[in-house]
Amino acid sequence: MNEFLQSMILTELEDAVGEENCSTREIDKVTHSVDYYWLSRMWADRGRLMPEADFVVAPKDAQETSKVLKIANYYKIPVTTWGGGGGTQGGAIPVAGGIVLDTKRMNKIYDVNTEGMYIECGTGAIYKHIEWAANEVGKATMHYPSSLTCSTVGGFLAHRGIGVVSTKYGKIDDMVLQMEVVLPNGDIIYTSPAPKHAAGPDLNQIFIGSEGTLGVITKAQIRIFDQPEERRFRGFLFKDMHGAFEASRELLQKFKPSVMRLYDEAETASLIKKIVGVERKGAFMNVAYEGCSEMVAVEEKILLDTFKKYGAEDLGSEYGEKWWNEKITFFYPGHMMDLPQMFGTMDTIAPYDKIEEIYWAMKNAIETNFPQAKFIAHFSHWYEWGAMVYDRFIVEGDDVPKDPVEALRLHQKIWTTGVRTAIAHGGVVNDHHGVGIKLGRLMKEQYGPAMQVFEGIKKQLDPNGIMNPYKLGL
Amino acid sequence: MNELNKQHIDACRFCWMCRHICPIGNATGLERNTSRARALGLSLVTRGVYDMTEVIDNVYECACCGACTKECVTGWDPVMFTKAARLDAALEGKLPEYIMTLVENCLDCGNAYGAKEIGVELKDAVAAHAKKTDTLFFLGVDARYKAASIAAVAVRALEKAGKPFTVLADELPSGQQLAYLIGAADETRAQMAACAKQLNQYKTVVVYDPQDASVLKREYAEWGIELTAEIVTFTAYLAQLVKSGDIKPVKADRTAVYQDPFQLARDLSETQPARDVISAYLNLDEMLCNGKHTMWAGNILMAQWMPKVIEDVAMGRIANAKGVKANTIVTASVSEYVSLKNAPQSDVEIIAIEELI
Repeated sequence: MNEFLQSMILTELEDAVGEENCSTREIDKVTHSVDYYWLSRMWADRGRLMPEADFVVAPKDAQETSKVLKIANYYKIPVTTWGGGGGTQGGAIPVAGGIVLDTKRMNKIYDVNTEGMYIECGTGAIYKHIEWAANEVGKATMHYPSSLTCSTVGGFLAHRGIGVVSTKYGKIDDMVLQMEVVLPNGDIIYTSPAPKHAAGPDLNQIFIGSEGTLGVITKAQIRIFDQPEERRFRGFLFKDMHGAFEASRELLQKFKPSVMRLYDEAETASLIKKIVGVERKGAFMNVAYEGCSEMVAVEEKILLDTFKKYGAEDLGSEYGEKWWNEKITFFYPGHMMDLPQMFGTMDTIAPYDKIEEIYWAMKNAIETNFPQAKFIAHFSHWYEWGAMVYDRFIVEGDDVPKDPVEALRLHQKIWTTGVRTAIAHGGVVNDHHGVGIKLGRLMKEQYGPAMQVFEGIKKQLDPNGIMNPYKLGL
Repeated sequence: MNELNKQHIDACRFCWMCRHICPIGNATGLERNTSRARALGLSLVTRGVYDMTEVIDNVYECACCGACTKECVTGWDPVMFTKAARLDAALEGKLPEYIMTLVENCLDCGNAYGAKEIGVELKDAVAAHAKKTDTLFFLGVDARYKAASIAAVAVRALEKAGKPFTVLADELPSGQQLAYLIGAADETRAQMAACAKQLNQYKTVVVYDPQDASVLKREYAEWGIELTAEIVTFTAYLAQLVKSGDIKPVKADRTAVYQDPFQLARDLSETQPARDVISAYLNLDEMLCNGKHTMWAGNILMAQWMPKVIEDVAMGRIANAKGVKANTIVTASVSEYVSLKNAPQSDVEIIAIEELI
């Protein structure tokens, strides 16, 4: 973009959101160019600058967002929406330049509604802040991902996030009532006032997970729940994961615990040993169950009886409670994998009849094709019909190519191999981290001709293709 | 930038876990107002991609309140590398002009504001306590030059105990402003050494401003500035006077929340004395982020270059008070008192702890 035109566009954007909320400063551009995606971090670690936006704008509401999108549409310049930047898939990186639309000024909590059991807020609100607002009236959001303190409501919605108590309370897509969305042409729309209806397809679910490719979600009503009277934990050790799957499937036909986390032998021997202190061979599983005390007591009996049938060793409540207290500790620098290691989480989801097979197939594919990579996994979100595998590859620093482009190529190859294997065995391209630029190329492989549905919606809503280009395979 | 700082910078450059408790970031909503952004910028400086001048403004957008450091379960310390970056910039002559002016004021006048006369409201109070005693009441530069009225109330509060104390007309700066602006530079140490010499003429020094108390108790020891006088915080001293019966509180049927100054709560692990005092006068409730987890409510120094942000920071804390339906905040920091008082609102009354006395 030439300097003259850039200056002209800048004045229009400043007029739309205010001069102080529109920046071309290098510090603003660089901080919006690196998210939690390993490649962007590696690039910065090697002293290289990631692609940057030309403008960083922060609208305060849907009206200002609308003005920005109208300007972008007129000049046909890309718009990448940025919430907290905590995504792992490169979804918020402005790879094509243009505008980064930072949502964090849209952080107002409009209503803490204990009658309707929701909080209405701007999507730039940090999720922890709406949790605080819920706590102040004795409620809770029950959406507790590791990124709770750093990510926004909009960020979780954009990539269909999930939290640790999902088995009982659901994913983020289960936690929304109505949303306000600004379409790429600047129109401001509202989804239906209730999330369950027979008034056509669900508009919420078109925009949730669309990763900023179809518009900008600017406001949402997020469900809140009563605080449980009691939350109990139980740790178990299974000889192997197969028994844990059998036990868990049976358990979930009886009741829904809040937390269910099964660690494979490799993660039990590494992360669980380090953080929780279990120094045993086998597969560690942590289960939490909560709600009314009377129900919790009954659920505990069902849990113990069911898991006993499958040979689980009851480790008591201590490890589970430690796990709960340390659940975010796993993700702090110094505990988590970090550069110079190369790593990635290829989370996928499938029904019970496929999930174990997927785990072994992915483990085999990664370890066979990339002997320098270690494969570890846990299963952290469970349903009556299946579970997700949070499987990770790790390449130690000495085995990571020094040349950043070579490192990028190796990273891409491992990802392609792993996710293709998951898809081939009946898994989904991703469970809760989203697609971003990292996995966009695999969306067509996932969906085949069904991809034209997404492409059709994209073409209709965003004919100029300005919204988050090269993401989600769109 | 030494290796330790580089290590902390590299740990923080991709981590946002402390975003939610940054008072500046919460007020501005700006991505650059995170420890992660500051670390990312500085990591690119250490890698030779940027010159310090490209990120230095951002380095001065941090209050150094330590909420991020407190939050980090791994023990990474964004305040440490922020202060180190400031020192580096000062040594390399790369300070922003607006900071350089404040530094020069500190060196020329002893305070960042360039003030030469203490506030008129304070002059009589100081004159009344000119006589040398064992106990010095140390006011600090914010109180002397920017908050004379409330500082005079503090002097009157101490008078109620009937114990003799001295207030110096020629009080030297503790060095807290220079420490904040440029870290452990020679000029900062020299200012501290001069102050220590003055304070050491007393047996006990009661320190009004937590900003001074923190450097006197921590940085002085860390940087080898010898203090023989016993340093007591104003809040601890008041609590002692209430406990001993030298001050006799009358309790009102009114509820308030307490704004913990981070310098007391985090730096000095002092959270209870102010609560003991307040509880003697009012019913004490707690707002979000209290005690060691306190959220900073603004200060006078940063308001010199980012006044609107400091106003928003204060408003954020007032919103926290309103969140628990409190209509009164009691402060124990002259700087937070002024920031909260200046916030454009009338729903919540701001009271300094000395006003209770």
